[in-house]
Amino acid sequence: MVDVEKLKKIARETISRDDVRCLIGWRQGSYGFRAAPHFVGKPEEADQLIFSPLCSHNLATYLTLAEKLPVPRGQEPDTRKVALLVKGCDSRAVVQQLVEQGIRRENVLVIGCPCRGVVDQKKVEAKYPDMGAAVTADWGEKTVIFNLPSGRVEAPREEVLAGKCMTCRYPNPLLADIEAGDAVAVWGSDEYTDVREMEAGDPRQRWLFWEEKFSSCIRCYSCRNVCPMCYCEDCILDRLNPGWVWRSANTSENTAFQLARAFHLAGRCIECGECERVCPVDIPLMKLNRKLTKEVREKFAFEPGTDPESKPLQASYRPDDKADFIL
Amino acid sequence: MDIFKLRKDKFADFLASLGGYKLFAPQKVGESIRFAPVTDAGKVELALANTTVPPKSIFFPQTETLYRYALGNTEMHPPAEGEAGVVLGVRPCDARAQVIVDNLFSWDVDDPYYLERRKKIAVVGLACNKPCVNCFCLSVGGDPASTEGLDLLMTELDDAYLLQPLTEKGEKLSQAVAAVAEAAETGDLDEAEKLHRQAREKINRKVETDGIPQKLPGLWDDALWQNTAASCLGCGICTFLCPTCHCFDIQDEVEGIDGRRCRMWDSCMFKEYTLHASGHNPRPTRRERTRNRINHKYNYFVQKFDVIACVGCGRCISFCPVNIDIVEILRQVKEAR
Repeated sequence: MVDVEKLKKIARETISRDDVRCLIGWRQGSYGFRAAPHFVGKPEEADQLIFSPLCSHNLATYLTLAEKLPVPRGQEPDTRKVALLVKGCDSRAVVQQLVEQGIRRENVLVIGCPCRGVVDQKKVEAKYPDMGAAVTADWGEKTVIFNLPSGRVEAPREEVLAGKCMTCRYPNPLLADIEAGDAVAVWGSDEYTDVREMEAGDPRQRWLFWEEKFSSCIRCYSCRNVCPMCYCEDCILDRLNPGWVWRSANTSENTAFQLARAFHLAGRCIECGECERVCPVDIPLMKLNRKLTKEVREKFAFEPGTDPESKPLQASYRPDDKADFIL
Repeated sequence: MDIFKLRKDKFADFLASLGGYKLFAPQKVGESIRFAPVTDAGKVELALANTTVPPKSIFFPQTETLYRYALGNTEMHPPAEGEAGVVLGVRPCDARAQVIVDNLFSWDVDDPYYLERRKKIAVVGLACNKPCVNCFCLSVGGDPASTEGLDLLMTELDDAYLLQPLTEKGEKLSQAVAAVAEAAETGDLDEAEKLHRQAREKINRKVETDGIPQKLPGLWDDALWQNTAASCLGCGICTFLCPTCHCFDIQDEVEGIDGRRCRMWDSCMFKEYTLHASGHNPRPTRRERTRNRINHKYNYFVQKFDVIACVGCGRCISFCPVNIDIVEILRQVKEAR
C-alpha cells in the first residue's frame, strides 16, 4: 500500500535533488473520475500528487514522448534525470524500454507504487452517471471507495476495475529505485481465457468481428501515441514514400494500420492496456495484443518487460527456439 | 409554419415517409455511436448521449475522393453528384458548428464538395433534454435548443416528438410527414418550452469568454502552454472529434495504375501538420500545437469570421486520454495577468 503523504514527501525530496529535472505522477482530474498526469518541477507542486484507483495512465510513455529540440549554441543539454511514478504494469514498460535501449538507465529515477487496481472509466461512469464534480477514490479491502458529492460509496472491485487489473500478475513494480510503499498481494491470474475464446471461434465470424471494429477506427493515432512501446521517431504509419499504409480511413487501410501496430508490438507489448483505454471508438485492441503475447509466451517462454537483463525477443536467438510454425 | 407532433410509435413510419432522401441518423457503429446511413429504423439511437463522431462527417467526410485518374492519362473523373439527403437527430451544438464551418468553406474559394452537400442535405435537429457533464454551449453562444443551422427542430416529449419546421427545407420535410403526424397543441409547445428551460438549467460548466480573443495574443509565451502541453500525447482525438475542426490533407493514392486524389481529416496536433520539406517545423513541440489549437478557435477564427470556432459540445474534454480540459485552459487564460 502507498501512503500518499509519504509519497508526497518522497516526491518533494526527489525534486529537490540536483540531478532530477522533473517528476511525473498523477493528480486529481478536472471532473468526474478522471486523474491527470502531473508534472512536478518544484517541491510545492508535489502537494497535488495523488495515488488512487483513478491513476490509470502509464506515465512511462512520457519518457520517450519528450520532444528533443536542438540545444542552442553555447548551451549544455539538460542531462538530469526524470523521476517517474510507476505501478506494476507501468514498471514493465520502463524495463522493456531499457532492454531495447530506448532510454538510458542513468536518465530515469523510478519510484515504485504497488497497485491494487485502477478503475475502468466506462464501468464507473455507467455505474455513477453524470458526475460533473471531481470525485476522489481509494482502495478498500476488496472494494473501491468513491467520495461522491452525495457521500461515500463502496463498490466491489470486480464491478469497477479495469479488465487488465482482474488478471494482473504484476501489481508490484518490477523495477524501482525508491519504493513508495510495501508490496501488495497478487490476487489475479491470467489464463488468457479471452484469447482462447476468440481462437475457438469460427474464423469467418472472427473476421466479421474485426472488420466491424477496424472500419470504425478514426485514425486519431491515440493508441500509438499513448503506447509506451511505440516510440519510433520515424513511424511506418507516417511514411509517405513509400506509403505502406494510405491515409484514407477505410476498412482496408485501417486494418493494415492496426495489424502493423500489433505485429510491431509482438514480444514487446507489456499489457498496460493504455491503447484500449484511450480509443475513442472502443476498439478492443488488447484482444489483438494479447493474442500475440500469448503466442510469444507459449512459443518462446518470453515475457517482455519482466527482466532488465533480458535481450529483446527479436534479438535473441536460441538453437532450441521452436520453429514448427515456419513453413 | 405548422408545428407537428409525432407519436413515438409512428417513428418508423416517419422515417419511411422520408424515403425519397438519403437518410443519416445516430447509430451504433462498432462500439460507438455515430451518424451512419439508415437501413433499419430500429437501429436509430436518439435516446443516448451525443454521438462520438460529430455529424460534420456527413458534410465533410473523414476521407473523400476528389477525383480519380489513371497513370499516364490526364483525364480526371470527379465523383458522381450527391443525392438529396436528411441528417436526423443533430444536436443544436453540432448544427451551429456546421454554420461556423460554412464560413471557412465559402471563404476565399467556394469548396464545391462541401457546399453541395450543405445545399442538398437537410438538418433535422434534436433538442438536448439531457446535456452531458462537459457541455458548455451556453458559454459560447449556443443553447441546448438553439435552432441555428437547423431546418427542423425535434423536441422529445413523453410519448412523442414535437416537430418545428424552421426553413423552407424543413417545411417540405414536415409536409412529407403530415400523414403520420398530428397537429401540435398549445400544451405541447409549452411542454417543449419547459424542457428547453430545464435543459439550460442542467448545464453546470461555464466559462466567461468575453475578452479571451483579445487576451490570447499577449499570452503567447505564457507558461500556461508548456504546462498544458506537458501531458498532451499529440493524438488527433480533440481535433477529429471536434465539430468545428475542419483541417484536411490531400493525398494521391495509387494502386496499380488507378489513382485517386483524396482529402482526409488532418490535425494541427500532429507533428507532421506543419513539417516543412526542409525538415524545419515552425511548431516543433506540443506546446506550440496546443497553443495553436486554442488560438485558432478563440482568436484567429474570431478575427476572421467574428465567431468563436467552439460550440461547447465537450467532446474534446470527455475523450481526451489525459484530461486536457479546454474549459480549464480558458479559465487560466481569463485569470492570467
